Amino acid sequence: MNETLIRIENLTAVYGHGARQVRALDNVTLDIHQGEIFGLLGPNGAGKTTLLSCVEGILQPEAGGVRIAGVEVTRQPQATKSHLGVQLQHTALLDDLTVAELVEVYAALYEVFLTPAEISAVLARFDLEDQAQKLSRRLSGGQKQRLALALAIANDPEIVLLDEPTSALDPRARRDVWAMIRTLHQEGRTIVLTTHAMEEAEALCGRVAIIDGGEIVACDTPARLIAGLDAYPVLKTACDVALAQAEGLPGVRMARYTGEYLELETSEPQATLAALQVLATTLGHSVGDVTLRQPNLEDVFLKLTGKALVA
Amino acid sequence: MKRFALLTKAMFLMHIRNRMTLFWNLAFPILILIIYRFVFGEGQVGDTDYMTWVAPGVVVFNILTFGLLSSGTLMVEMREKGILRRLQTSPVPASSLVGSYLLVNVLIGLLQSTLIVSFAVLVFGMPLTWAGVLRAFPMVIVGIVTFVAIGQVISGVAPTAGVAVAVGQVLNFSQMFITDMIMPIQAMPTWLQEAAPYLPAYAVVQLVRPPLLKGQFSSDLGFSLLITTGYIVLATLAAARLFRWSPKA
Repeated sequence: MNETLIRIENLTAVYGHGARQVRALDNVTLDIHQGEIFGLLGPNGAGKTTLLSCVEGILQPEAGGVRIAGVEVTRQPQATKSHLGVQLQHTALLDDLTVAELVEVYAALYEVFLTPAEISAVLARFDLEDQAQKLSRRLSGGQKQRLALALAIANDPEIVLLDEPTSALDPRARRDVWAMIRTLHQEGRTIVLTTHAMEEAEALCGRVAIIDGGEIVACDTPARLIAGLDAYPVLKTACDVALAQAEGLPGVRMARYTGEYLELETSEPQATLAALQVLATTLGHSVGDVTLRQPNLEDVFLKLTGKALVA
Repeated sequence: MKRFALLTKAMFLMHIRNRMTLFWNLAFPILILIIYRFVFGEGQVGDTDYMTWVAPGVVVFNILTFGLLSSGTLMVEMREKGILRRLQTSPVPASSLVGSYLLVNVLIGLLQSTLIVSFAVLVFGMPLTWAGVLRAFPMVIVGIVTFVAIGQVISGVAPTAGVAVAVGQVLNFSQMFITDMIMPIQAMPTWLQEAAPYLPAYAVVQLVRPPLLKGQFSSDLGFSLLITTGYIVLATLAAARLFRWSPKA
């Protein structure tokens, strides 16, 4: 196992005072390892951004602390910030600067001074070289998001913190950003991202912490979290058979109707489907619209918190 | 140092590419001079023709507007958009950020003032000596710092850019007429004439106008500097205390 790069210990953070005080993080402990893509998965308001803010050194925790490469963030914020590349949830850019000027100044904030050729190279990586002289406010949503990523790595950081990197992007732009994040990971960077999309966490993250109400409710690889559910794939089909007959099919653990669809939780999807087709033919019915859904992080979240990830 | 230079360059470009700043701080003062020429062009203030008398007032009016409205509002906008928060995540110290912002404000204020004075000299024949310029422009810097500091107090208090503009407008226009800036103080009621010297804009007018008109500081230079210094110290302390990286939750 790689060594711990970010250690979060007993972290508690609050907003507001007195009766209006809100506890955004409650005694959170996490280790994030060098070279991994670590996901913070949870619904809006779960505490993901607050946790990142404590790592970024822009929010003073109520208790506990964060160490980056062994250095306490609250004691030496300048030193720990220089390890980081940051993309905030709401892409905030100086609108009246060009794309190239932004890369130059954001790198300079970290005492990294790029030559024009180096600026072009950064932009080329994010498919923005043709936009170099454009004012940032004239970029499309997808281009702005890619620029936010470019700015996050302009200082060549060891750790990249991405807060909802694909929110409000269309599916294609989202896949582009995923590919870029994978490339950053292949370069050896440690990436911490927040998301409320379980498919994003499954597609990108080596490990995931599920966060809800300011607490970590589980932390592991997506595969182990799903395996820990002890759940089976669900075969869904438009087929009219009695539930009692469906429950007798091979491999079926549970049968139910949701609307017009028959849902069969099964340990042997292929055998179940074959037997269902035989049964339906005997009854003079057909088996249509067949889909098979594997258990996913959405199910993990539902089981652990009793509520859906996305309302 | 290179970081400070690049940050300052970025801030400068951000200001001069902002259409509001361009209009209100570069075009509007020239427009005011032209309007005054048509309305009050033939008038006299003491032994000085009105346009010569009012040009230094427009210089102060302009840096007052810039400090109270443009500078303060731009800071609130940067806070509202999350730009300050993004800068906060970098290792750049707050002092560098504030220093570069102030430097840009001073540079733009000097640029505007040069433009106004040049226009008054070239178009309205305002007499000017180098001795006057060398004495007046350092006082313009004192004025800019005074008004920017007050503007930053407004930006610290105002929850949104809209509120910052409203508060700035009230302080701006109220001082415009009662501080000897564009209307002679002698035209005001006695009680106002007695109160005006304690207003920051009045003190800056007294620092800037005499050297531009006569090449010499006025006899109450010390008092005016004391008043402006007082405002700078108090406003800077208040602004530092009120400064926020993020909007209020």
